[in-house]
Amino acid sequence: MSNYTENELAQDLENQEYKFGFVTDIETDTVPIGLNEDIIRLISAKKNEPQWLLDERLKAFAIWQNMSEPEWAHVHYQKPDFQAIAYYSAPKQTKKYESWDDVDPELKETMKKLGISMEEQQRLTGVAVDFVMDSVSVATSFKEKLSELGIIFCSFSDAVQEHPELVQKYMGTVVPSTDNFYAALNGAVFTDGSFCYIPKGVRCPMELSTYFRINAGGTGQFERTLVVADEGAYVSYLEGCTAPQRDENQLHAAVVELIALKDAEIKYSTVQNWYPGDKEGKGGVFNFVTKRGMCETNAKISWTQVETGSAVTWKYPSCILKGDNSVGEFYSVAVTNNYQQADTGTKMIHLGKNTKSTIISKGISAGNSQNSYRGLVQIHKGAQNARNFSQCDSLLMTDHCGAHTFPYIECKNPSAKIEHEATTSKIGEDQLFYCMQRGISEEKAISLIVNGYCKEVLNQLPMEFAVEAQKLLAISLEGSVG
Amino acid sequence: METTVSNKLDQFIADLKASQIAMPMALQEAAQSHLLGQDFPTTKAERFKYTRLGKLAAAAFNSPIQLDETQLKEHCIISDAYTIFLNNDQIIVPQSLPIGLEISLLAETSTAFHEPGFNDIFGALNVLYAQNGVSISLAKNCTLDKPIQIVQVNSGGKYFYRHHFQFGENSEAALYFVSKSTADTTSFAHTHFQYDVAQSARIKVSKIQDCSTGHFDFNEDRAKQAAQSHFEINTFTLDGSFVRNDAAVKIEGQHAQTYLNGAYWLKDEQHVANYTTMDHKVANCESFETYKGVAADKATAVFNGKVFVRKDAQKTNAYQSNANVLLSENASVNSKPELEIYADDVKCSHGSITGQLDETALFYLRARGLSAASAKNLLLQAFMEDVLTYIKNEEVLNYIHQRIAERFNWSYEAKSK
Repeated sequence: MSNYTENELAQDLENQEYKFGFVTDIETDTVPIGLNEDIIRLISAKKNEPQWLLDERLKAFAIWQNMSEPEWAHVHYQKPDFQAIAYYSAPKQTKKYESWDDVDPELKETMKKLGISMEEQQRLTGVAVDFVMDSVSVATSFKEKLSELGIIFCSFSDAVQEHPELVQKYMGTVVPSTDNFYAALNGAVFTDGSFCYIPKGVRCPMELSTYFRINAGGTGQFERTLVVADEGAYVSYLEGCTAPQRDENQLHAAVVELIALKDAEIKYSTVQNWYPGDKEGKGGVFNFVTKRGMCETNAKISWTQVETGSAVTWKYPSCILKGDNSVGEFYSVAVTNNYQQADTGTKMIHLGKNTKSTIISKGISAGNSQNSYRGLVQIHKGAQNARNFSQCDSLLMTDHCGAHTFPYIECKNPSAKIEHEATTSKIGEDQLFYCMQRGISEEKAISLIVNGYCKEVLNQLPMEFAVEAQKLLAISLEGSVG
Repeated sequence: METTVSNKLDQFIADLKASQIAMPMALQEAAQSHLLGQDFPTTKAERFKYTRLGKLAAAAFNSPIQLDETQLKEHCIISDAYTIFLNNDQIIVPQSLPIGLEISLLAETSTAFHEPGFNDIFGALNVLYAQNGVSISLAKNCTLDKPIQIVQVNSGGKYFYRHHFQFGENSEAALYFVSKSTADTTSFAHTHFQYDVAQSARIKVSKIQDCSTGHFDFNEDRAKQAAQSHFEINTFTLDGSFVRNDAAVKIEGQHAQTYLNGAYWLKDEQHVANYTTMDHKVANCESFETYKGVAADKATAVFNGKVFVRKDAQKTNAYQSNANVLLSENASVNSKPELEIYADDVKCSHGSITGQLDETALFYLRARGLSAASAKNLLLQAFMEDVLTYIKNEEVLNYIHQRIAERFNWSYEAKSK
């Protein structure tokens, strides 16, 4: 390691990118606009995929063609034209700005408030900097440590090439292509994503973060994530990052599958801060994600999400509690401001005996936004002594926004205990008054109260993430009380 | 002309008689276009997600049996009331009425106002095929000395009814709707209730649904409330294999109060669905919803409550709760308490609980010498009793207790007067 120089690092980085199958010349690395079987074959060929994966893609495409876009969610938007999208483009970092001075000052200001280092800021905005010394070295040393333990953590395309047996065994077992419109679309055209495998009995010593992987591989519009924790394994996985991401792709349809085998535990944390559109509600990302986890006996899956971005969010991280004594958890903070719309929640499907699930959902609506919680708690016949506790609270910041709750509770076992609670209210004027009377400015007081309101969820986040998420909440709600 | 029966809904409609009630043209047209090319909704339709209509589509209804007045009177629950009897095509209206109370037949009233809109195909069918119903109006400042009791006895066939109620300013009344059927009948009834509650009126509607196993009972309640009014719909479902209640209340004046309560005691293969919609359109109003039930054997209970708080409805308090106890392996419950809120200065909450009886409470009773069965029954009675407190009429309360005792072997002591 001592002889490892910056130049070598740079070399490594470039090689890595090449290894992931992206040709450096961006111009030639896009396929024509539109979606048909040929495009899918082309994507598959470009990625040098085995025949079975191409078959899966084509199968998903056939299913997708017979499906229609879901309309039940409490969101309104102009439906994307699926034939007007280029389904494969090099999702690597491109130079968006020639120099730091070109970067949107508002964006710079936000990043400064988030406490992101100068180097990091430049990397995130895609300014033409050489590369960031810090994160690359960290990423490399991480990788060494992980491989010592037998943990596989790589891009999805990499996994297809290097561990096809694992991918073939688990892919589509939790979210089959038949699941829904966007899952089918993703199944047909997904370009890349992350793959993670924790071997039997291994406790992953660090938080795995896509944030580090992005440096190496790059992310796409149709991501596919597969996390497998073998028997007795543990992993904490972080997705996204708090920094604002100005993405030019309007439609994001990702699929995340978690598989927790016997006695395993997966903790999956997300901070989502895609571009939410401007103050008039123009632009912004459509985030239509299918996330689901399968729990075998004694396994545990915990979803934690802080959602502040995207113009339209349609996202229900779910747990199938298949094995006896398995546990599912869902902690969520969803903030909507301006004209954002979010329809998010979870599904807890109790199949095994003594299964337990907890749902804590905190919605905050500001501006003219609409924020909905939609959840399903389903207790099947065999789920003896199943237990569920759900709490969905909504906080309204203005009189133009909306907060909605659509919980579905279905119980087919007499020994189950299900509790659901929901409240909706605004920030207490007495609370605000109390803070301001003690010399705390209104903005600070609001942020204090909001953080207190979200504490149950923020506490579930890994430490660094939690600190950033708190700041992010404050920024998302800036100037929203009125 | 030969007509081909293309689907089950057409078969169902085929022998219905066109409505005798003078309906507005626009409403009829809307109903017709709603039904165009429709079949019975499947569980894919959100409103019928938990209700299978296969049994209804396949049911063979026996031809209606006409009952005479003495036979009908046997189904009365309240002895001293202004009682209206409904049986198939016949409606018997009480002869002497107090000043301020007017009862007429809807088919003979040409000026009636019909609220536009319907939620499902049955609402649309009602517009087209409702034979008759009553139109009741209560004058301003009138407080009724006795309750109004409507006894509907189903004795076969398929019937759609429509009832209109107009409660004048500052009036007060209790309305009991008793739905029963003759033994071993297979029948269908869809009843549309329309309530217009004027300022400061205090109206309590209670429904006692106690039909036979073969009866399909559909109810659609549409109410609008003016300022300072108090309105209640309490629904008690005792028997009947298939019951669907759909109550919607719009609050249009400030400082009004609404209570929607329901209780259901289900066994065998009963299916009972309660749908409620509370629409808070103006500020400073309150609504309370409590639905409670027990389900034994293969029974299924459905609750779908919806509370809307519109943009202008600041300072709204809305509460909604649904609690269930499942008594057997094969019983199931589906609950969906929804909130849709567009105003910020509101207090809204909802809760839904499905579970069992408190172990410690059971232990307490067992320790004092009660058998397991009677301890359980006692706690279940207590669990259900808080909805029953909304019934102020003792005859009705005793009737309900008696019916539960018959069906579930729970023993009640008659209340001493």
